[in-house]
Amino acid sequence: MNLKSLDPRVTRLGIDELTDTQIVEKGSLDQFETYEAFIETKEGKPFEHAGPVHAPNEEMAFLFAKEQFSRRGMFCNALCVVKTENIKVSDYTDNNEDVYNLVTNKPTGVERDSFEIFHLAKRGKQHKYEGSVMAKDYEDALAQAKEDFQSDKPVFNIWVVKSEHILASDEEDRDIWDTLKEKKYRDAIDYKAGDKIKAFKEQQA
Amino acid sequence: MNTDALKDLLYKIADDQLILGHRNSEWTGFGPLLEEDIAFSSMAQDKVGQSWQIYKLLHELGESDPDTVAFMRNAEQFHNCQLVELPNGEYDFSLIRHFLFDMAEQIRFTHLASSSYEPLALLSRKIKGEIKYHTMHAKIWMKQLGSATEESILRLQNSLDYAMPYALGIFEPSKFEAELIKEDIFRGEAVVKEGWIEQISSILKETSLRMPDIKSITPVYGGRYGQHTDNLQPLLDEMSEVFKMDPTADW
Repeated sequence: MNLKSLDPRVTRLGIDELTDTQIVEKGSLDQFETYEAFIETKEGKPFEHAGPVHAPNEEMAFLFAKEQFSRRGMFCNALCVVKTENIKVSDYTDNNEDVYNLVTNKPTGVERDSFEIFHLAKRGKQHKYEGSVMAKDYEDALAQAKEDFQSDKPVFNIWVVKSEHILASDEEDRDIWDTLKEKKYRDAIDYKAGDKIKAFKEQQA
Repeated sequence: MNTDALKDLLYKIADDQLILGHRNSEWTGFGPLLEEDIAFSSMAQDKVGQSWQIYKLLHELGESDPDTVAFMRNAEQFHNCQLVELPNGEYDFSLIRHFLFDMAEQIRFTHLASSSYEPLALLSRKIKGEIKYHTMHAKIWMKQLGSATEESILRLQNSLDYAMPYALGIFEPSKFEAELIKEDIFRGEAVVKEGWIEQISSILKETSLRMPDIKSITPVYGGRYGQHTDNLQPLLDEMSEVFKMDPTADW
């Protein structure tokens, strides 16, 4: 007998009801690496962290991130992805202490690479793009960032990314976010079942 | 404006979108990885949404309302090409179909964006952005799996060879090709096909996949005028189950 499910797609798979299929044990860490996605939610607004995706490479990460984090109903202008392991994370601070105060080295002035700096200005919020610096290495980039971006407002954590490690959407591909607007049926909020459930319950009572 | 010719054109485009949208949605929850499941499902919804917009244009031209048109016709009243009704099979086939179909769609809607029928031109300009992502998705997958492992290459090649006669059926000439071209409503299937072969070939060249010899293949025609495989009616029955039980059903 084939397995019969309420989901016809499962029934169509023709799985033997009696087969007790052993699930093959996967090796540990048997999954793709993660990439972090950043989106520009409004013209002129800085890129902000949206979340991670698993992918075998950055192009695929871009594809996945586009649908995960910039679906319809959400305004988006541009998207970029960075491999998680390529983000250097600073220390964390709390209690209004500026993490830049923990950076004690002075910038070397060696302009070997371009780095992008992301600030966490509020615990529990997203990291937002602050600007770029030229520096010798990650540590040096942090020192340069302190000089360029430290202000009265404390920052609780900083991400430093080499510019060359970022894959960003092309300006000419901006129209992938310019889509049909009548998409309410895609959102749970469009299905107003509350009244019907109430009426049904009253009828049952 | 030749309304019969226009309706013929709109029906085949909308039916292609609806049927492929439904087919692709069958992957929801079954996708090869969560991120891809979400992306593929989302594109399936795009296609159903696009079909709805085109059925609305048809409604304005005097056809029944979109729900009735989508859910109350039998297989022989559908104008979709047979490619889109074939069962999903394994992911290799679904990806190949997505690639072959959406590459053609992109060219079709680019042409239609300058159609003399203004409502269609306007809609096509909006749909183009969505399809651009769909083809981006398809091309990156082809590039990825088309040169990855022996198995991925073999699977895609087999699916490509199997799908090609059906894919050529996308371009089955309509009864109204001459009228549509003459009235600048649509530049015609031959032009779309020509551009498609060129683009498909150049993308496949960057992979280990081989472009089938188009000249030696007989296209599978008939779908545009109601000839379908046995796969379409069960799909329609499943898709319209709720509507047929209660046409006034609402969320």
